[in-house]
Amino acid sequence: MTFINYVAREINCKIVYYGPGLGGKTTNLQYVYQITDTENKGKMISLATETERTLFFDFLPIDLGQIRGFQTRFHLYTVPGQVFYDSSRKLILKGVDGVVFVADSQEERIDANLESLSNLAHNLKEQGFDINKIPYVLQLNKRDLPNAIPVDELKKQLLVKGEPVFEAVAIEGVGILNTLKAVARQVLIELKKSA
Amino acid sequence: MKLNTINLHEPEFRRIKAILDSLLQDLRADIALLVSQSGQPIVISESNMKFDYVSLASLAAANMAATDGLANLVGEGEFSVLVHQGRSRSLYISDLSRKFSLVLVFNASTSLGLVRYKAKKTIILLEEVIQDVLRRTPQKKYSAGNPDFSEEELQKLLKQ
Repeated sequence: MTFINYVAREINCKIVYYGPGLGGKTTNLQYVYQITDTENKGKMISLATETERTLFFDFLPIDLGQIRGFQTRFHLYTVPGQVFYDSSRKLILKGVDGVVFVADSQEERIDANLESLSNLAHNLKEQGFDINKIPYVLQLNKRDLPNAIPVDELKKQLLVKGEPVFEAVAIEGVGILNTLKAVARQVLIELKKSA
Repeated sequence: MKLNTINLHEPEFRRIKAILDSLLQDLRADIALLVSQSGQPIVISESNMKFDYVSLASLAAANMAATDGLANLVGEGEFSVLVHQGRSRSLYISDLSRKFSLVLVFNASTSLGLVRYKAKKTIILLEEVIQDVLRRTPQKKYSAGNPDFSEEELQKLLKQ
């Protein structure tokens, strides 16, 4: 749910990173946190287990800059990817403005990707959203691994609506910022349309 | 698909701020926040004690959302109030119109009964203003002060 504060001149939007467990969602946020200047980011919150698996969510507030005198603030969230955390994933999608699907390119994770994507569509619908209409970007992560499925094949299986697709190696920061900028762009364009 | 957007303009901002300031003073609380369902801080009233209200808002909203889930699970319509009592500070979170939360951080020695009473009255006042906020039609597309931007401006923003 975008919040425009005309007094403080701020636009606030929520982006959720979704995808199967261990796919790289948290790594995306960690990289963004590392490379963002202190004055443009808030504290990163990670509610995780002892083994660093996301338990509830990660949260990172960042400023992307000014547009038309309005500061653009994005609240980035990840969901827990493990299958049994579905109830938590639904909650994190409340008021979402844009979604990044972080797919794991490894051959043995294709079913997990498909299940997670189906789960995303279902949970968005429950929250009153349509995956075919919401600002949405597909990230194909782990492109550096030898068992990564070719991009064309992955796109065939995972593309929803001709959304922007970004290849990534999240652990090295490759593709992270382009993904974020793409979804931010879609969110802001959608905001402008609805104004 | 149109985004659901909250547009907060000065008249409503000032009304909400005044209500929260009054609550803060009455309870001698540390911070009183209006938070959106998606975890964004909408209006803040704080004492000299400074909090990371962005994190507070996010966690409080998630807390309420999780509580909502629990309520459904046990067959309750909602659990509309959460209280976390600490040794020196306590936290009170209350649902507001199913779209917002009122979040209070206050001294643990403050009577919880008083907090509940004051918060309940505050919620009624806030609900009136919230209705005005949600009813407010978007400003005309090209009127001054509207965040209308061009493709060039968007490109410039995202190149940073």
